[in-house]
Amino acid sequence: MPNVKVTLDGIQYEVDNKKTIIEAARENGVSIPHFCYHEKLSVSGNCRMCLVEVEKMPKLAIACMTQVADGMVVHTRNERVINAREAVMEFILINHPLDCPICDEAGECKLQDYSYKYSTGFSRFVEDKVHKPKRVEIGPRVMLDTERCIMCSRCIRFCDEIAGVHQLEFTQRGDRTELTTFPGEKLDNPYSMNVVDICPVGALTNKDFRFKSRVWEMSFTESVCTGCARGCNIEIGVRNNEILRLNPRKNDDVNSVWMCDHGRMDTWKNVNADTRIKSPKIRKDGVLVEVGWDEAIAKVASELKSFNRSEIAVLGSAMASNEDNYIFAKFAKEVLGTRNIDFARHHVGADDNVLIRADKTPNASGAEEVGVAPHDGGMSFEQIISAIKAGKIKALYSLEDDLATIPGVAEALDQLEFFAVHATNHCKTTEHADVILAASTYAEKNGTWTNFQHRVQRIRPAVTTLEQDRALDNFKMSRWDKFAAHNDKWGKGPRRDSRPSWKIVASVAGALGAKFKYNNADDVFNEICQKVESFKGLSYLKVGMKGAVLKKQTVVA
Amino acid sequence: MEKFILPDIPNLHNIDVYEQHGGYQALRKALQMKPDEVIDEVKKSGLRGRGGACFPTGLKWSFMPKGNDKAKYLCVNGDESEPGTFKDRQIFEFNPHVMIEGIIIGCYAMGIPTAYIYIRGEYRKWIKMVDQALADAYAKGYIGENILGSGFSTNVYTHSGAGAYICGEESALMNSIEGERGYPRVKPPFPAQKGVFGMPTTINNVETMSNVPLIINKGAEWYSKIGVAKHPGPILVGISGHVNKPGVYEVPTGVTLLTLINEYAGGVPNGKKIKAVIPGGSSTMILRGENLEGICMDADSLKAAGSSVGTAGLMVMDEDTDLVRVLSRISHFYHHESCGQCTPCREGTGWLEKMLHRFEHYEARTEDIDMLENVANHIEGNTICALGDAAAWPVQSFVRRFRDEFEKRVKQENTVAA
Repeated sequence: MPNVKVTLDGIQYEVDNKKTIIEAARENGVSIPHFCYHEKLSVSGNCRMCLVEVEKMPKLAIACMTQVADGMVVHTRNERVINAREAVMEFILINHPLDCPICDEAGECKLQDYSYKYSTGFSRFVEDKVHKPKRVEIGPRVMLDTERCIMCSRCIRFCDEIAGVHQLEFTQRGDRTELTTFPGEKLDNPYSMNVVDICPVGALTNKDFRFKSRVWEMSFTESVCTGCARGCNIEIGVRNNEILRLNPRKNDDVNSVWMCDHGRMDTWKNVNADTRIKSPKIRKDGVLVEVGWDEAIAKVASELKSFNRSEIAVLGSAMASNEDNYIFAKFAKEVLGTRNIDFARHHVGADDNVLIRADKTPNASGAEEVGVAPHDGGMSFEQIISAIKAGKIKALYSLEDDLATIPGVAEALDQLEFFAVHATNHCKTTEHADVILAASTYAEKNGTWTNFQHRVQRIRPAVTTLEQDRALDNFKMSRWDKFAAHNDKWGKGPRRDSRPSWKIVASVAGALGAKFKYNNADDVFNEICQKVESFKGLSYLKVGMKGAVLKKQTVVA
Repeated sequence: MEKFILPDIPNLHNIDVYEQHGGYQALRKALQMKPDEVIDEVKKSGLRGRGGACFPTGLKWSFMPKGNDKAKYLCVNGDESEPGTFKDRQIFEFNPHVMIEGIIIGCYAMGIPTAYIYIRGEYRKWIKMVDQALADAYAKGYIGENILGSGFSTNVYTHSGAGAYICGEESALMNSIEGERGYPRVKPPFPAQKGVFGMPTTINNVETMSNVPLIINKGAEWYSKIGVAKHPGPILVGISGHVNKPGVYEVPTGVTLLTLINEYAGGVPNGKKIKAVIPGGSSTMILRGENLEGICMDADSLKAAGSSVGTAGLMVMDEDTDLVRVLSRISHFYHHESCGQCTPCREGTGWLEKMLHRFEHYEARTEDIDMLENVANHIEGNTICALGDAAAWPVQSFVRRFRDEFEKRVKQENTVAA
C-alpha cells in the first residue's frame, strides 16, 4: 500500500493513500468530530461536523469524504475550522430539543459531548423550534423521537448496508425532514436495535432499556453473548446488581460492532428473573426444598456412589464454559469412570449471512474440544436418552441445559432413579431433578466460550453472587457501587447463593475422595492449556479482550 | 438582432415547419464530422452553460471518457424552478426541436446512447409538447437506431420531476432519474466519472443544448462573435416584476440591464424609479437601482457588479417595493426547497425565514440585522450543493445593499414619558 505524506495540524504523518482525512487522522491520534461518519458504514457527508481546512482548496472540506494526497496540509483546529464547527453545532442545536435531563442518551450522547467540547455554549436562536412526532414506535424494539433526530442517516445506512433490508427512509424536506418506515411497515429486522447504538443522539432508543437507568449509574463489563455460536462481543450494563442491557463491543474478527436483537434481548433476562435457583435444592418427599451446599454436594456424591459405573451417564453443556465442561469431563473420566459423556445440541433454522448462527449455544465447539464427547465406546446423547428409556442408564448428572425442551427427553428423565442437574433457573428440566445445584450464570463468573470459529473468548462476572465481592473480586464498578452508603437503598440488588459449575463439580469430586484443587477459573483454564493440545500456549492474558483462535488439532490429553 | 433560439416563426414546434427553416441540417452536418471535431467546434464557440454556472460547454463535453464500450448518459436539465426563471419553458413550447437537435448532436459528439430531458413536474403541458416533438423526431429518423444512416444510434426520453427545486441541482437530478430521493451527491466523484446509474454523465441546461445547432450550422467562429467575447451567443432573458412588458427576450449577451428593462420590457409602469433588480433569478445578488448604469447581461459584467448572470431571470422592483417582504418570500422559497440533507442548509434556511418573518412584522431586534448576514455566512460554502449558497446570497446582498430597509423594521420600544 503506497504511502503519502500528509501534514495534520503541523505534524507530518505517512499514511496509506487510500485513506480519507478522518481515517488518517484517527490512526494518528487526531480526532475530528463527526456525527454521520461511521467507520462501518458508507460515507454520506451530510452532518458537516468534520469540516477541515485543506490548503489550496478554496472551501473547507469534509474530512470523512476527502481522500489524502501527497503533500496535503490539513488544519483540523484553526480559527476557520473552529468557526465552521461552532456554526454547525449551532445549526444542529437550534431545532434539537434540549431535553437531556429526561433523555436516555444523556451521558453517552455525541451531541451532548460535542456541545461541551465544540460549541459556544450559547444560542442566538429565539424562534420557535420545529415540532415533529415524538414517542413513535418505529419498531417492536425501537422507539423514535423525531424531534431529537439530527438526520445523520446512520440508521438508514445500517439497515441498507448491514442488516440488508431497506426499512428506514426520510420523508419531507428541509427542517421538516422525518425519519420513518414505509407505510404499514416496521423497523423489525433481526438487527434493528443496532440503530440505537449508532444513533448519535437520543432519537432512537431501546424500548426495553429506556427510562431504566442513567448510564453513568451503571457498570459495563466486557463479556460475550450466549445467544448463538457466533459469540458476539458485548458489554453487560449493570446497576444495583441487575443487568439492564447488553451492548455490542467491537471485535472485527467476530461481530464487527454489531449484535442481533435476539442476543441483546433474550439472553440475560433469566439472570435477574424470579425463576432463579437461589440456592441448592434437594427433592424431599417429592418436593424440592432449599438446602445448604454441603448437604447438596454430599447427596449427589452418595447417590452417584450407589450406582454401577455402567449405569451412570453425564451430560456436559454447550451453555456452560470451557472450564465447566473440562472439569466435568475430567470428573466423569477420573472419578466416575464413565465413558457415557456427551452434550445436547441446539440447532434452530440456518445461519444467516450477517451474524446469526443456527447453533443457538455459545460453547458447543468448546465443550467438544475440552473432552465432553463419548469415548472408548461410550454413548452419545441420543444413545444415553435411549438407554435411560431402556432402563440401562439409571443415574444422570448434567450441567446447566434445559434438556426437557428436547422432544422425548422429559419422559426419559422421569424414568431415572437419580437425576442431578446444575441449573441457573427453574425450567422444565428442574421439575424432574432430584438435586438442583445452583449454577452461576455467564454473567456471574469468569470463564471462556469457544465460538464456531474456534475462537476462545473471555466472559467476566458483571453480577455478584453471595460468594463474590465487587471490590475484592475486581468487578467493574458503577458510581452506585463505589459511593453508595450502607443505609442507601441502591447498590443492594439481590445476590444469589450460586456457584460456577466447575466449582460445584470439583466439590462433588472432593466428596467422592478425589482432589480437584482449583482456586479460581484461571487455575482451571491453565490446566486446560496444559492438557488440551489445541489450547496450548493460551492464558487468560493472551485471550484478552478479543479472544484467541485454537490450534487446529483436536487432541485430548 | 436576428433571433436563433426563439425566432418569430409560427408553428416552429411542428417538425415540418422546423425542417422548412433549416431544421436538422446541423445534425446532418455534425454526423459528417468526427465526434471530437464537434466537441472542438463547441469549445471554440465559447458557449458557456446557461443553467447558471456558466461553465464552458465544450470543456465539459471533453471530460467524458471516449469510446462506446460502456453506458454513458446525457441529462438535459429542464427542471427550471427558480423564482424569476422561465426561459426553458419557451423553448419547450415554441422551439423544442432546436433543443432536440442539439441533444442528438451532443450525444453524437460524446458517444452517448441515452439522453434524458428532465422537466419539472409542474410543466405537465410542456412535457407533453416535448414528448410529441420527440415522437416526431423519432418518426423522421433523427432519433433512434442508425440516425440518418450514420451508424450512430441514440435514444432520448423525457423524465418528469415531482415538484422539488433541488432536483434541478445536477446530482440530485441524477438521483431523481434513478428513482432515489432527490438528494445532491457529494462531489467528487464528478458526473463525468460517475453519474447517473454510476456511469459517466454530462448534464447540460435546455438552453445550452439549444445553442448547439447554431454553432454547428454557422461555425464556432461566427458564433463566438455574438455578444461579448468571454460569454458569447444569444441568451434568453426572462424579465419579470415591475415592467410594462414582462416576458422572455432573446438578446446577444452584453446588453445592458437598463436596455433590457427600458427598451425590451417597456420600462417601469407609471414612470416609477427602479429601487432594485435581481439580475439572474432569485439566488443571484440584488443590485441597487441607482447603480445599474453600464451593467450588462453577461457573466463578467455582472460579476464585477457584485452579482451573477445566473439563469438571466431579471426581476425588476420599483421604488414602492417592500424589499424586506421580497427577501422574506425568497427565504421562504429556499426554506421550503432545502432538501434537508446537510446541516447548515437544512437548519439555516428555516432560521433565516423565521428571522425575516420577524422583520416583516416589525418584531426584529437591531442585532438581528447582523445575525441575518452571519447566519447566511455560516451556510455559504459549507454545504453539499449550491442550494445553501443560493439561500445565503440573497440574504447577504439584501442586508449589505439595503440595510436601511431592515433598520426600519426593527421593533420600536415605546418611549416612556418623563
